[in-house]
Amino acid sequence: MWDTKNVLTGSADNSCRLWDCETGKQLALVETNSAVRTCGFDFSGNIIMFSTDKQMGYQCILNYFDLRDPQQIEDNQPYLSLPCNESKITSAVWGPLGEFVIAGHENGEINQYSAKSGEILKVAKEHTKQINDIQSSVDLTMVISASKDCTAKLFDSTNLEHIKTFKTERPVNSAAISPIMDHVVMGGGQEAMEVTTTSTRIGKFEARFFHAAYEEEFGRVKGHFGPINCVAFHPDGKSYSSGGEDGYVRIHYFDPQYFDFELEA
Amino acid sequence: MQDTVNMAESEFDEEEEPPFSDQEDFVDDIDDEELLEDVLRERPLEADGIDSVVLVDNVPQVGPERLEKLKNVIHKIFSKFGKITNEFYPEAAGTTKGYIFLEYASPNHALEAVKNADGYKLDKQHTFRVNLFTDFDKYMNISDQWETPEKQPFKDFGNMRHWLEDPDCGDQYSVIYESGERTAIFSNDPKEPILVEERARWTETYVRWSPKGTYLATFHQRGIALWGGEKFKQIQRFSHQGVSLIDFSPCERYVVTFSPLMDTKEDPQAIIIWDILTGQKKRGFHCESSAHWPIFKWSQDGKFFARMTQDTLSIYETPSMGLLDKKSLKISGIKDFSWSPGDNIIAFWVPEDKDIPARVTLMQFPSRLEIRVRNLFNVVDCKLHWQRQGDYLCVKVDRTPRGTQGVVTNFEIFRMREKQVPVDVVEMKESIIAFAWEPNGSKFAVLHGESPRINASFYHVKSNGKIDLIKMFDKQQANSIFWSPQGQFLVLAGLRSMNGALAFVDTSDCTIMYIAEHYMASDVEWDPTGRYVVTSVSWWSHKVDNAYWLWTFQGRLLQKNNKDRFCQLLWRPCPPTLLGQEQIKAIKKDLKKYSKIFEQKDRLSQSKASKELVDKRRLMMEEYSRYKDSAIQLYNQQRELRLELRGGVDTDELDSNVEDWEEETIEFFIKRILISRYFRKNILCTREIFS
Repeated sequence: MWDTKNVLTGSADNSCRLWDCETGKQLALVETNSAVRTCGFDFSGNIIMFSTDKQMGYQCILNYFDLRDPQQIEDNQPYLSLPCNESKITSAVWGPLGEFVIAGHENGEINQYSAKSGEILKVAKEHTKQINDIQSSVDLTMVISASKDCTAKLFDSTNLEHIKTFKTERPVNSAAISPIMDHVVMGGGQEAMEVTTTSTRIGKFEARFFHAAYEEEFGRVKGHFGPINCVAFHPDGKSYSSGGEDGYVRIHYFDPQYFDFELEA
Repeated sequence: MQDTVNMAESEFDEEEEPPFSDQEDFVDDIDDEELLEDVLRERPLEADGIDSVVLVDNVPQVGPERLEKLKNVIHKIFSKFGKITNEFYPEAAGTTKGYIFLEYASPNHALEAVKNADGYKLDKQHTFRVNLFTDFDKYMNISDQWETPEKQPFKDFGNMRHWLEDPDCGDQYSVIYESGERTAIFSNDPKEPILVEERARWTETYVRWSPKGTYLATFHQRGIALWGGEKFKQIQRFSHQGVSLIDFSPCERYVVTFSPLMDTKEDPQAIIIWDILTGQKKRGFHCESSAHWPIFKWSQDGKFFARMTQDTLSIYETPSMGLLDKKSLKISGIKDFSWSPGDNIIAFWVPEDKDIPARVTLMQFPSRLEIRVRNLFNVVDCKLHWQRQGDYLCVKVDRTPRGTQGVVTNFEIFRMREKQVPVDVVEMKESIIAFAWEPNGSKFAVLHGESPRINASFYHVKSNGKIDLIKMFDKQQANSIFWSPQGQFLVLAGLRSMNGALAFVDTSDCTIMYIAEHYMASDVEWDPTGRYVVTSVSWWSHKVDNAYWLWTFQGRLLQKNNKDRFCQLLWRPCPPTLLGQEQIKAIKKDLKKYSKIFEQKDRLSQSKASKELVDKRRLMMEEYSRYKDSAIQLYNQQRELRLELRGGVDTDELDSNVEDWEEETIEFFIKRILISRYFRKNILCTREIFS
């Protein structure tokens, strides 16, 4: 939540929980029929959303709860519940003003679901395979989607216009937008079952930096022993962290050269 | 008749059968043809004898004293085809005229005689020509009216050598990717491959170029297709159900296809030889197994092709497709053979047989002269390696010397261009992993040893009769040798299990120019000019990171081309140069002049490229900035809404609420340094000096 008072977590234990940050006390519990894949607070912090997986006969559903109405949580009655029939939601973030949720699907589609009416406001069919992660820019004007089709794409949050594409040779598991530079970072790897067939050399999995405007890669950071599952920039843009299949979270601070670096233009 | 009728008329009994006879004056209206067609068909024809007569030409002209002998010889040869019932030896001025008539018992025998005896070589000066007598009739009766043969529409395929006219001299290569779904042809350019043609499902399995690069062959269930010309139109199609392997003759006149499906006793169809230009099926052959393809090996000029079967070497000649001299060579125990790439010479070897040692034989064709025979002792196995121009033959001999258990390897080097083909021996101490001759040169490279101690040795076959070891590099990560097609440079590669280690070597002074790696590379391909090398990771051997990388011959990496499920890259071969030796010498002399022009061109294109890149980036940045400006505008407009949503708290900047921040300074212990009194004094002194 924006004032860092509360934390919202969703888990494969079929529940979504609200916690107090400072004390660690569980404030609310919403039980679900299948694993909770993604969740988040809207801009105001008053509305939460989470999506459940398509599992054991249960649909993928996008749920909205208004925290100002405690009855909703108590009765496990979201004020808006949207089933997703074709392709389950794999990752989602809120739009800039809490009006809609931007969700990525297993089939590569990205949809805007209204938080008020539930209708699909905008659609983007740019990716060809599953969306692994969606993250917003720090001002929420843009989102970046990381996909199994080996690319990450930059979209405008409001109209889902496709702005940029960043190509690699490996499936991208996560991508993030720098808060202060025109850079994006991506982390990925290959299918977990294929890991043993590729490079087993130490630290061969890399986080890759692309220039957001030129779509060109300009740097890589080695270190992980396994595929990278998640990347994020520090809000001040002076460092980034990555978490990988190898069980390590790495935090890197940028050298001064990183901020001076420019591609000839 | 009379009686019967009467009988019917008069004492006709109810039980008696009605009459079956015709009436008296009845004449039937059916003719014999209709009634007895099948019987009449088999009616023996009057033998006027002409159909069973053959005319044999080019018969020796003999006098009466040798006539009897001649007749016996003719009889012996021609009675194989049937019973000779009559013969006539026309004479003039005391000798036979040189042609004879033979009559057989049946026309079939005559046909057999024509089929089999026409072209029979009696001796050096006499090759029989056998024809049916009736054929003469046919040819005599050709209509005097000339009927123009029907004109076939001209299929213009354009300039079949079009790709050689590329002003930048980029060589072409074929790329198969998307696990075989797409095939593309690119023109090589150091900056970036230039796409020439791309088609989906162009081939069902893989592709092959013809030896001079004129055709691209694609594989299909029903046969193969050849494509060429500027637009890669379909030149020819060969129908061979289930074809799996092909081979071209070096002259590009013929193509050999193999299909495991098509083989019957009467009509051997497993291997078919086709004439490329006419599309005709020239001959079919049986084939038990395609284990060592190509089964038929071509001589360097395409005049002969040969195959080895149990104890036999069969050599055929083109264009007749018949056995040379009408018989195969009986070579007991023959294990392997190969043609010289420079002359019509075959090298073959046979293993030990009781008291007779193993030996390698060099035989010339069509004369069948044995140019050289080399005896070898205690041989386990042999492999034949010809140098690209046929200047040298290396026979790698694995032996178990008497009294020992292990296997020792020798290289027997045959110097083909010297009189009587002298042989030199190079003894190798370790087991051999790879061997390769330098094209256009007289060096060879060997990889020997056992992993992980693999060594690379370079030898020079000198004209003074010595073979020198120029250099040996030890502890190499390599299992394959790839020479540049022009010689001098090579790449030592550790493919597949050796993870793609690469070493670029200049053999003029045996230095390693560059060491690099293409992780999990499965193939290395030199372009026909020897300027570029492509290393690739094929999807057929490794399912991830499928790509092909372009390097200069010195080992400088130029491009990394990722292609989804990349399978195979093949350079398009070049036809041999049209320049004569003199012209090549002249060009080499003036190379400096030409280099200047090319360098300028390169510089221009480089700066053009960087200028293009810079321009492109500028455009992209402008576009992006415009977008960001409009996004920021919207963002600013929405400021009020944001404040409202967060109860008036401004969170737009990281330090929007600095008042809320608390700053705390913490000191903590890092390190303790002990400075001795001596040093302290020193420091104080130095301070004084410098202050």
